Amino acid sequence: MFNKTLLVIEVSLSLVNNTQASILAGNFAKCSDSNLAGHWRRRKKMIFKIEDVTVYFPYDNIYPEQYEYMVELKRALDAKGHCLLEMPTGTGKTIALLSLITSYRLSRPDSPIKLVYCTRTVHEMEKTLGELKILHDYQLTHLGAQAKILALGLSSRKNLCVNSKVLAAENRDSVDAACRKRTASWVRALAAENPNVQLCDYFESYEKAADNALLPPGVYTLEDLRAFGKNRGWCPYFLARHMVQFANVIVYSYQYLLDPKVAGIISKELQKESVIVFDEAHNIDNVCIEALSVSVRRVTLEGANRNLNKIRQEIDRFKATDAGRLRAEYNRLIEGLALRGDLSGTDQWLANPALPNDILKEAVPGNIRRAEHFVHVLRRLLQYLGGRLDTENVEKESPVSFVSSLNSQAGIEQKTLKFCYDRLHSLMMTLEITDTDEFLPIQTVCDFATLVGTYARGFSIIIEPYDERMPHIPDPILQLSCHDASLAIKPVFDRFQSVVITSGTLSPIDLYPRLLSFNPVVSRSFKMSMTRDCICPMVLTRGSDQLPVSTKFDMRSDPGVVRNYGKLLVEMVSVVPDGVVCFFVSYSYMDGIIATWNETGILKEITQQKLVFFETQDVVETTLALDNYRRACDCGRGAVFFSVARGKVAEGIDFDRHYGRLVVMFGVPFQYTLSKILLARLEYLRDTFQIKEGDFLTFDALRQAAQCVGRVIRSKADYGMMIFADKRYSRHDKRSKLPGWILSHLRDAHLNLSTDMAIHIAREFLRKMAQPYDKTGTMGRKTLLTQEDLEKMAETGVQDMVY
Amino acid sequence: MASWKVKHKSSGTPGTLNMGKPHIFEFETYQDMHACRDVINKAFAYCESLKSNSVLQTWSYASRFSEKISNELQILHKELVQSKVQKMNFWSRRKELLGKYSIGKWKQRVGLMASSIKPSTDGRTNRVTFNLTPEIIFQIFNERPAVSQAFLNYVPSKMTEKDFWTKYFRAEYHYSTKNTAVAEAEAAEDEVLSVFLKPDEILAQEARPKIRRVDPSLDMVADQGDDYSHTMDLVEPQNDQFGRRSLSQDINRHSATVLEDRCIDVESDDSRTIAEALTLAKQDVESDDSRTIAEALTLAKQVSKATKDAYQERLEKLSRAIVMEDLKEPQNFSFVPLSTKDPRDYFESQQGIVLNEPRVTWDSKRNVHDAYRSLKEPVVQIRTKGLSAPFINPEVSFKVLSELTQTISDANTLNGKNQPESVLDRLPKSMKHDILHHWALIQELLRHFWSSYPITSTYLSTKVGRLNDAMLNIDSQLEAMKEPVRSDIRHEVSSPVCSMQKVSFFRYIDKEFYVMNQIVDGS
Repeated sequence: MFNKTLLVIEVSLSLVNNTQASILAGNFAKCSDSNLAGHWRRRKKMIFKIEDVTVYFPYDNIYPEQYEYMVELKRALDAKGHCLLEMPTGTGKTIALLSLITSYRLSRPDSPIKLVYCTRTVHEMEKTLGELKILHDYQLTHLGAQAKILALGLSSRKNLCVNSKVLAAENRDSVDAACRKRTASWVRALAAENPNVQLCDYFESYEKAADNALLPPGVYTLEDLRAFGKNRGWCPYFLARHMVQFANVIVYSYQYLLDPKVAGIISKELQKESVIVFDEAHNIDNVCIEALSVSVRRVTLEGANRNLNKIRQEIDRFKATDAGRLRAEYNRLIEGLALRGDLSGTDQWLANPALPNDILKEAVPGNIRRAEHFVHVLRRLLQYLGGRLDTENVEKESPVSFVSSLNSQAGIEQKTLKFCYDRLHSLMMTLEITDTDEFLPIQTVCDFATLVGTYARGFSIIIEPYDERMPHIPDPILQLSCHDASLAIKPVFDRFQSVVITSGTLSPIDLYPRLLSFNPVVSRSFKMSMTRDCICPMVLTRGSDQLPVSTKFDMRSDPGVVRNYGKLLVEMVSVVPDGVVCFFVSYSYMDGIIATWNETGILKEITQQKLVFFETQDVVETTLALDNYRRACDCGRGAVFFSVARGKVAEGIDFDRHYGRLVVMFGVPFQYTLSKILLARLEYLRDTFQIKEGDFLTFDALRQAAQCVGRVIRSKADYGMMIFADKRYSRHDKRSKLPGWILSHLRDAHLNLSTDMAIHIAREFLRKMAQPYDKTGTMGRKTLLTQEDLEKMAETGVQDMVY
Repeated sequence: MASWKVKHKSSGTPGTLNMGKPHIFEFETYQDMHACRDVINKAFAYCESLKSNSVLQTWSYASRFSEKISNELQILHKELVQSKVQKMNFWSRRKELLGKYSIGKWKQRVGLMASSIKPSTDGRTNRVTFNLTPEIIFQIFNERPAVSQAFLNYVPSKMTEKDFWTKYFRAEYHYSTKNTAVAEAEAAEDEVLSVFLKPDEILAQEARPKIRRVDPSLDMVADQGDDYSHTMDLVEPQNDQFGRRSLSQDINRHSATVLEDRCIDVESDDSRTIAEALTLAKQDVESDDSRTIAEALTLAKQVSKATKDAYQERLEKLSRAIVMEDLKEPQNFSFVPLSTKDPRDYFESQQGIVLNEPRVTWDSKRNVHDAYRSLKEPVVQIRTKGLSAPFINPEVSFKVLSELTQTISDANTLNGKNQPESVLDRLPKSMKHDILHHWALIQELLRHFWSSYPITSTYLSTKVGRLNDAMLNIDSQLEAMKEPVRSDIRHEVSSPVCSMQKVSFFRYIDKEFYVMNQIVDGS
């Protein structure tokens, strides 16, 4: 764009008359923008009091639910307790949260709290920091220097590194390894003697700056960190990791707190006076469970065997050249420390997979102190696991019995197992191994060993000879699966003063405290104050031929259902403008139904109206498909995106505005109910928390469905339709588990629709949405509050004004 | 073909071919003449058809325009064509005018999907037949660059085109029947076949830079960086090299190519030309990209500038996603809804805003010059220094723009066309309509008048004469129209129309006519 305008100028010198107008026109827009900005700055943004806290809010108006949200949040902070808040998407949760917590911090200068904000995706991380930037600027103009904070995002090397050679690596682990190859302490020691050894310039100059390498106060997104690092020549990753201890606000991924492997190195030193926020936390129980689960396959074992061979060679080499190192390690292990405490940041690997309280602080058992002996133990372990994978039946076992049979058959004690991970780590450090990405298989096996040796309750070991859905392909898998989400999050609840769990969909809100076993001091669900009915949920139970539609197991392959689903979509794409998103219950179901639609020509009918894109299991391909989808929505008749509930797209991608005017949920996204892991978890939930299987399954399916359809609306100015296409949604026990803000728009007349009726309603809805409307609310309900409104409310009480 | 010359004059040489048109072709021998006769005949027939086509096309263009415009056209057509302008002339002028508005010609292509090509069977034997057309080949090459590359590599040096396509469809057939085991076995032995079965490598290479340009809100690849619970899933080797392409991938690819909208200018049945043209088209796009980047770098004389721009753009995108428009104070700009029905309303409303502001009466001429001078300064600066972020100071541009609007509205006030009541509005409705109608007529006539310049033939001179008569006719009509109008605005009624007439038309036409007559008489 830049050089194009330049060309215009070049021409204009000869044809001044002609181009004057175009330059002027271009700048007029700019000029009015800058006028506007000035105007905008002059206008008063909001400052109001919630009890004793002065809240700075960087907008002219506030939604009533945002105000209430802040009030509840403040109660939780005052009580130094945990809270659970559900508020619909598009009502500005994040800014409400940020402005209350930072204002709270400002009002209590003697005991400053630290905010740790956890997001699911990198984009949300950047967005949160962007909002904080606006807020921070506003606070600075009002309060001056005292409002200064340091806020930063933290991600893996892959997202923060600026060294182009390291970045050339494919995935996270190879980037990590490529970094270690240039920054590990022994590599740097070697480089001092041998100038041919490659180092990372960014890290070297960061090290040289030593304690002076600090970030000045401000708000730093990942992008800013990279820019800052490049500018100064400092490594942004290590700089950010270093600054975490000084920062007032940290934004990072869930895993950095919940996964003990990562939390152990990154979040170890956070102070107790911290407020932890889990945003979009409706799936937090699954994250907790995954953090403590490990699966081992044939390829893992093969890889681990190769790793052991390599380690064996290295040991021999060291014995020949530098036997002293191995002896030193042995002595250290006798002293009881698996690892030196003074590991430099670059040598750190992922920490122990077990939770901090469960890690033993004692001497490493004698039988694995010697490197060769440890390798032997691991060999026996691999052999045993290999034998177990040879099974022909599905086996389910508790960790206790697994450990005892491991002891009797392979002669490995529980305590030995427990130390496997740390022992491996120590050994690799001693052997100066830098290409850690190559050693992932053995690391996974040691993960498994440590976890199985540590936990007796809340876990089970499940061995399946093949995938249930594809019984003819042998693909044995041994899984250590955690059933108890409260295990991983317990240290977080114990350690920190306040934990805030918030999302657009936390219904039913009373289930989460049971799943995560904690006692919230505040637990509330907020409604959305709407100026107009901008969402239109519908339950479609029948096709155009009045036959019921469902993805129930016995009906899903019925050609009538497949055809009716297809016809629904064909009709809808001809009515709805721009983007349409479809969610299916699983990849296999989507592939099946698309193949049928392709054969019967339904797909062709759809492509006559809109372009078609798919989510696939390949992340890169999906990302490109999404990018193309958006472009198609920007420039033409729109597109259809086919996606999968529980997939990456359903979790993290917004289909706001014209990118999604209709979302269709084909079927109820139940988990695969025959899965052994799910059955084991259900059993555990029933026995431990008294949660009925059916209840949990419905809850889980409906939160996924709500999550999928919620993608379509991201702000109040937006509008969109949601179709739940399955007859089971019309049943009260299913439907009632949807979040309140969807239910309140689900009219009784929309509960039992057939395709033709749905088309009619869609037409009506779209026409209604095209009309101009008043943003501040109608019929006596205020949906936008000004500062004056708030002051009045403070006098008369909240409830009179809102709703 | 034998060489032949084209001459415009007939001569007595043996091989003269008189086509009954103003072209006479002269050949060396009779044989040559016979050889060429067919070709020339065809060429003329083609030219003829083109001419009639162009008229038809013009009509179709016109019908594309909105109802109102074509109505006007019809009236104009009725008025002008019978007496004053020849039909052909009318439409050819129109076509040129309309041509400016049409976005350019593009062909509608058939929506084909490379993977949807179905074989036909005869039902009796085990034979399957695939029908290939150039469109299908184009589509296959477009959606699968690897196949296109393989075609360029192997055909015709290693195998014939027929063999190539047989192999290709063999692989496709294995796919469609989900017979991947057979496909793999065959691919293991055959290098070419394996190209068809493997995932497209060229596409995979293209994907990497594309991923970097993707909107940050879609960047799911970045999320993998923080996902430590699926460590092993990531490194799991993907050993199933073959048979991984699914229907959904095919459809994704197809839709992506539709969006890319890559056209080639080749009208050919030869697969090789298609493949080459496609590769070229792709390279063009890529080199365009790199060239513009390179230019930007040299012009900005700073390598970091480009990255800074990208950074800025990302920031802007992000901030657009962040700011909650709802919560901001509504910005009440005075605006007039843009309506294409009568652009004058829109234009005048702008001046109304300017007029409402208090203003010291200056000499408006001087102001325009002032404004121009202040604009000239930054332009000169740009020439010497190169571009910087706001390349013209907002204040300057605002000043210039408001000054120009002011001047225009001032001029209008002097002419009596001031807001809210212009002369036209003060007239009765029917008269206003008539005047506008005359205005359009005169415009059309003037167009024809100027297009017949310079007057070189008697045909043109009679045409100009006719136009002149028509013009005078309108003039008298206008005079008649003035009669019933109030005296104070009588002059102004015809002024918008007459000024145009007088300035351009009569002044020249008399002079030219005189000259023309001299020439015609003299010769």
